[in-house]
Amino acid sequence: MDFYDLFYDLNIKGNHFQSDLAIIKEAIRLNWNHLTLRYSPEKFKDLNYKKELIENIENMEEIAIPKDFSIGFGLEINVKKSNDIRNNINKFKKDADLFSVLGGNPKINRMACESLQVDILSRPYFRRYDSGINQVLAKEALKNNVAIELCIKDILTTYLSHRAKVIANFRDIIKLYRKFKFPLIISSGASSIFDIRHPRDIIAIFKEIGLKEEEIQDCFNSYPRNIIDFNKERENIIVVGAKVIKK
Amino acid sequence: MKLKILPPTLRPNYRYLALDIKSEAILNKDELVSAIWDSCIRFSGELETSNFMLWIMRFYECPNDFDSKPNFYRYKAILKSQRGFEEKVRGSLAAMANYHGKKIAIATIGKSGTIKGAVDKFIY
Repeated sequence: MDFYDLFYDLNIKGNHFQSDLAIIKEAIRLNWNHLTLRYSPEKFKDLNYKKELIENIENMEEIAIPKDFSIGFGLEINVKKSNDIRNNINKFKKDADLFSVLGGNPKINRMACESLQVDILSRPYFRRYDSGINQVLAKEALKNNVAIELCIKDILTTYLSHRAKVIANFRDIIKLYRKFKFPLIISSGASSIFDIRHPRDIIAIFKEIGLKEEEIQDCFNSYPRNIIDFNKERENIIVVGAKVIKK
Repeated sequence: MKLKILPPTLRPNYRYLALDIKSEAILNKDELVSAIWDSCIRFSGELETSNFMLWIMRFYECPNDFDSKPNFYRYKAILKSQRGFEEKVRGSLAAMANYHGKKIAIATIGKSGTIKGAVDKFIY
């Protein structure tokens, strides 16, 4: 039985036009259906090739583009002070398709999980000896609908004991996910064409780590789609539970 | 004395994986074999890898599709593995990022029950 229909990758590291285009072409070739390019606030401010990139992809002749293929542009916030998260989000509120915060620091992890404006807490285990998530943060993430992101690049770039530690951290987060059911997403974190894998290859890795097929389907499909749909409606939402309906 | 060939019912069943390989350095078939074994043993361990029964059946050099001046080399290959272990092989291959200090990426683009099926469907 085939569970998977659409594959979403919400973490492609945006850099410059040529490299972004090469990554997108390779991702299309490997059957991805949605890509979100993430930029740092400095790069996002100077981002002036969004339209050109989309036009280039639409007019591409060498590869057949799937009908439902789409790309988005998100912001990845990497700050040391937790207050800077809010400042950055307010600055790029209208332009970015989603907001993610790079975790690792316990204060940043907590602030991201407690914020309604943050969509994704990316790599809470980053440069840590534990997973960076506990039952308190898991409950907060569920309450505020903040997705926790596991990045496959962390497995690719490490080896031996470090890789074992990263996989152990993944297992800890998966354990908390099973209990608290916060949104969990899997992404490639690709910054070059060498980091892109076929979606089913990533599924195979996470099956080995211990996720079940239904859980992987949610991580690849349902949760990312919810984040994208929510962000399309974000500007109409006044407070939680109330939104402006345009006639 | 040569051993008698096993009857078909006692032979193991195989699946053939079509691989798409991107490499920073020029690869030959022997280096690919070594890279595949290395990644499987690293990720799945010696005990699990003993079930895989890996064998490269075909190896193709491909032109780079996109750039006129490629910054990587593209290859395709057909890899034999024991039936029931395809997903584990796939995961192990995907987890490889480096071989001898050069970047390498192996994606499995399909699987088939016969070599001919794999070649017709995924290589050409």
